[in-house]
Amino acid sequence: MKTRFTTRDLVYIAVFGALWGVLEITFGSYLHLIFPPIATPLVGVGTIMTAVGMVVALIGRLFVPRAGSVLMIGLVVAILKALSMGGVKLSAMIAIIIECLLAELGLFLSRKPGLRRAQSSRRGGFMFAGCLAVLWTFFHKFFASYIFLGRGIYEVYLGILKKGSQALGIETGYALVIVAAYLLIRIVVGGLAGWLASDLGRAVRARLTQAERDRE
Amino acid sequence: MRIFGTWGYLAFLVWAIVLGMLATEARVIFVLGFVIVFSASFFPSGLKPVRRPEFWFLVASAVLLSPFLIGEKDLSLFGLGLSRQGFWAGLWMALRALSMALAVGGFAYAVSADEIARLFEMAGLKGLGFAVGVAFNLLPTLEETARNAYQAMRLRGGFQRERLRALRMLLVAIVVNALRRGDEVVEAAEARAFRPDGPRQALLPPGRADLALVAVLIALGAGLLAWP
Repeated sequence: MKTRFTTRDLVYIAVFGALWGVLEITFGSYLHLIFPPIATPLVGVGTIMTAVGMVVALIGRLFVPRAGSVLMIGLVVAILKALSMGGVKLSAMIAIIIECLLAELGLFLSRKPGLRRAQSSRRGGFMFAGCLAVLWTFFHKFFASYIFLGRGIYEVYLGILKKGSQALGIETGYALVIVAAYLLIRIVVGGLAGWLASDLGRAVRARLTQAERDRE
Repeated sequence: MRIFGTWGYLAFLVWAIVLGMLATEARVIFVLGFVIVFSASFFPSGLKPVRRPEFWFLVASAVLLSPFLIGEKDLSLFGLGLSRQGFWAGLWMALRALSMALAVGGFAYAVSADEIARLFEMAGLKGLGFAVGVAFNLLPTLEETARNAYQAMRLRGGFQRERLRALRMLLVAIVVNALRRGDEVVEAAEARAFRPDGPRQALLPPGRADLALVAVLIALGAGLLAWP
């Protein structure tokens, strides 16, 4: 079977995977220290790091415009996380892979035929992909608690409602409002990550093009 | 010398994760016991996390906090309401997490990055091994170039005004530097005639020891789950 990625594609995948990895080591560790889970009930460090990772992975998509590149970047990060970042964090590794799969799904669903239309819809597609990826951080709580800790989904749901009600200052009876707040925050953060990726990616491309012209 | 191949260790990892999920209450002790005995026998380095205090802090916190957070309070200790159900739930939770963490840690110690990458390549993700290798080597370089870019901007007073704009410029500079470094790697790889679709050494097929281990794991797992 012939591989779809060229050597340049694979190196760029590695570059963006390593960039995300560096951010996980430095920025992620710092965030875990300054934002303990109790202090951030609505937006956890996981949500912030997913958004940061999505910015990097989606910029990577601009430079490796092939289906599967975001997933490959996620796999590289997951393997780096397993091998080099202070012990294996299976839950985080699975989260990264699922988020990248969801981002790929978002990019696939928002793709449009024709280069011009594809370019015009890129920002929208990136925002949609970011939303889907960051939304997973909410569902990952249920998934990880059930799979790794053996806690019931209903128990986790009650815990989330309790934290949410405390953060929003409303009764736990307003369950729909609390869950909607959780999801809305993630949609906004994910959309922002996609927008930022598109913006930064264009700036990077412009800088590289300028440098190329200056060299000529 | 390694007794088992990649397939044997992979089977052990899958077994520990699946049994960790499916085994209920006291059965988790057997799963954990097997994971510890297997790890100590075949890859003692995989038990390194056990020596770290923060590892035990996480385990202890799950056991100690659960009586306060899970279940109805049916005990009182120094005026604090505790739940017996919460204690047991916390204990099983901690043991389950412990067995999975040790199995994954052991797998990472026993199987090299190259073998893991080849496993992914066998699953159709060609070129992943090369990408992981490059990323692994790039980590320290990228960290250093990011730090240099930050210091250079800070020394020029970049963060004193318009901090968001400065941050954007810093991020762009970091990505541009990373891509330039990437271009150097591409040139080096192409100079050595590297091809992503070129012939690569495949993983060895499962050996007798791997197959025997799989049989033992299946029998043990089935017995544990069928045990009343």
